[in-house]
Amino acid sequence: MLGYLGAGTLLAALVMGGFSAVLSFWAGWTQNAVMVQVGRRAFYTATAMIVVAGAVLEWALLSHDFSVPTALVAAGFYGGQEGSLLYWVMVLGILGSVSLVASASLGVRLAAYAAGVMAAIVSFFLVVLVLVASPFDLLSVTPPDGLGLNPILRDGGMLIHPPVVLAGFASFAIPFSFAAAALLAGRTDEAWIAHTRRFALMAWSLQTAGLVLGMWWAYHVLGWGGYWGWDPVENVAFMPWLATTAYLHSSQVQEKRGRFRAWNFGLVILAFLLVIFGTFIVRSGVVPSVHTFAISEIGPWFLAFLFICIVFSTILLAARSQSLGSGAEPAALVSREGAFVLQNLLLIGVVAVVLWGTVLPLVSGMLGQQRVVGVSYYERAAGPLFLLLLLLMAAGPLLPWRRAAGRASVRALTWPAGVAAIVLIALAVAGVRSIPALVALPLVAAVVATCFTQYARLGRGWSRLPGMMIRRRRRYGAYLAHLGLAVLVTGIAASHFWQQEKDVTLAPGQQVTVAGYTLTYAGSDVRQLADHTELVGSMKLGTSTLEPARATYAGLGGQSLTHVAISTTPLADVYVVLTGVDEAGSASFRIFVSPLVIWIWAGGAIIIVGVVLGNVGERAAELEAVRRRVPALAR
Amino acid sequence: MIPGLRWALPALVVAACVGYLIYSASGGSAEYYLTVGELRSHASGGDVRVAGVVQDDVLKSAGGLRVTFTEKDATASVPVDYSGPLPDIFKPGITVVAEGRLGKDGVFHARTLLAKCPSRFSTTAYTQ
Repeated sequence: MLGYLGAGTLLAALVMGGFSAVLSFWAGWTQNAVMVQVGRRAFYTATAMIVVAGAVLEWALLSHDFSVPTALVAAGFYGGQEGSLLYWVMVLGILGSVSLVASASLGVRLAAYAAGVMAAIVSFFLVVLVLVASPFDLLSVTPPDGLGLNPILRDGGMLIHPPVVLAGFASFAIPFSFAAAALLAGRTDEAWIAHTRRFALMAWSLQTAGLVLGMWWAYHVLGWGGYWGWDPVENVAFMPWLATTAYLHSSQVQEKRGRFRAWNFGLVILAFLLVIFGTFIVRSGVVPSVHTFAISEIGPWFLAFLFICIVFSTILLAARSQSLGSGAEPAALVSREGAFVLQNLLLIGVVAVVLWGTVLPLVSGMLGQQRVVGVSYYERAAGPLFLLLLLLMAAGPLLPWRRAAGRASVRALTWPAGVAAIVLIALAVAGVRSIPALVALPLVAAVVATCFTQYARLGRGWSRLPGMMIRRRRRYGAYLAHLGLAVLVTGIAASHFWQQEKDVTLAPGQQVTVAGYTLTYAGSDVRQLADHTELVGSMKLGTSTLEPARATYAGLGGQSLTHVAISTTPLADVYVVLTGVDEAGSASFRIFVSPLVIWIWAGGAIIIVGVVLGNVGERAAELEAVRRRVPALAR
Repeated sequence: MIPGLRWALPALVVAACVGYLIYSASGGSAEYYLTVGELRSHASGGDVRVAGVVQDDVLKSAGGLRVTFTEKDATASVPVDYSGPLPDIFKPGITVVAEGRLGKDGVFHARTLLAKCPSRFSTTAYTQ
């Protein structure tokens, strides 16, 4: 019964979505303000129906008595292929509706086309959901309950990482819709940027949170001591993030100086195309990945959709290329604009590196023997680009707009340069000889110094800082995000350059010392829990006891699962993996000591806090300036 | 895309650098991704990755840190030797990707061993 209700609502949503798309495009073409509203309302209705379908699916899951915690049953919504698509289109529908509510002020055509593009995207997802991957398909026989969620996924990470990543993916469609609408309507001014700024920031923040949460989950669950493996699935989530990072910076140039119009359109379109491309890669199984996703029929649909989006965007950009130039006088090379251009080029360079690494198996497979690249490729190709980006983060904010850097900026640069030199000397004295480390960490220090210089400079002295921080929160929020990234990069650099690893086999009472941390093996113990047995090897570290374990699930064909034990301090994580216990009672461990890992998670949190604090409340003064400059917005 | 020819030169320089980085890095570290059948006929001396299904002859030693087993696909099989912690879901019947090289002894010496992560499940996975 519920199945029919869900499938019926989805079909109705598709009809509504298609109706909204057609009507909105037509209303935009004829500039019919009444029909634009009808089109928007049709979009809201489609969204409401998608939400109903989502509620039906969730209800069906929760009302069935699975013997696992309710929260994890609720997570079954997005745990399956079909449900995850439904979740995606639901997020897009809700956020899209919010973005459309205030869109009337953008003028009839822009608002109409935005609704049309968004409705078309929603309709595509609904077509896939209705025709190919319906979450409400009824099986001809009632299957017995499954074996339950795989133990690896029975974790808090499962509750938070997938929905955040998917919501981030879904929200990229909103800036894209408005950008495409602006091109369609011939409105190449800053209106669409000002209107979708918060959605771009939201997509970026969600993606940032999703990436960091994914790293945290992989780190504390999988037992390999790492958090990022440059796997295709990670790469396709990283690339839209990079493109959006570029956009968030270059859009400021357009807001402030009316420049980079074509480039900003290109970046938003690129981010959206990368999202669709990523979905295609992940769901089609065309490249080898550690992650296994169901090789399903939706792959070709996404490939076709990607192709349509590429053709559509290219034609739009080409058709409007005449009006995309800007009248503003060109800026000097060494200026704030110049720094933004270089930063953008480097970020797109990283996208190119990651994209090539991701599709190499596909391309080489078509040309002959399939080839893959490993972690070292990404480190060697993207590493230097990341270092240059750090350099720009340190120097860029201190350069003046438009004109070439003068004596004042050189003076401002002495602070970060001095701090970097001190850190460099300190590291060299401490015996660090790794060149990448000797470049990366001083640069991070310079970034921090630059941020603090800016806080001092913009507040014109520390005493006035609190008031200025509230009034100009957008800028201060941005520097807080920069500081967060500096903290995060410090964590990545330290754990990357100085992680120590040791495999040991210990008899009870024996000790091992790794990187100055002495661990004593206390003995092993077998614990019988409800659905699994745990083999625990206790390790004493100072006064605390670490209990790494191996769980074995008899009901799942004896599948085993590592429980990593991590002792976290601000300076280092001691990360212990139990690999086995022999008959004599000796246990084998792999022990990692990773410096500053917690800085990665803390840095991620600081970034999000910076973005959120910088953008709460009234529209910032900078946006008001845009509104004044672009007459249509004031209407 | 970037307005003004002024940016064209820096853009070209960055593009050339990125191109060079991609070229040099992928030349050095790209590995062949082979099936077990292809491994035998593959001549390259470098590291390769081989995907195959773990057979029943899993032999663990050194407290579970060292393992030998046979990896097999539709056409061929190869013995694999690996030291290090095993992926949790490692057991006969699953697909693993071993990274390493085929020794003169005919044994594949794996440097890393990756199991296909169960991000997705089908009901057949456990009944096979």
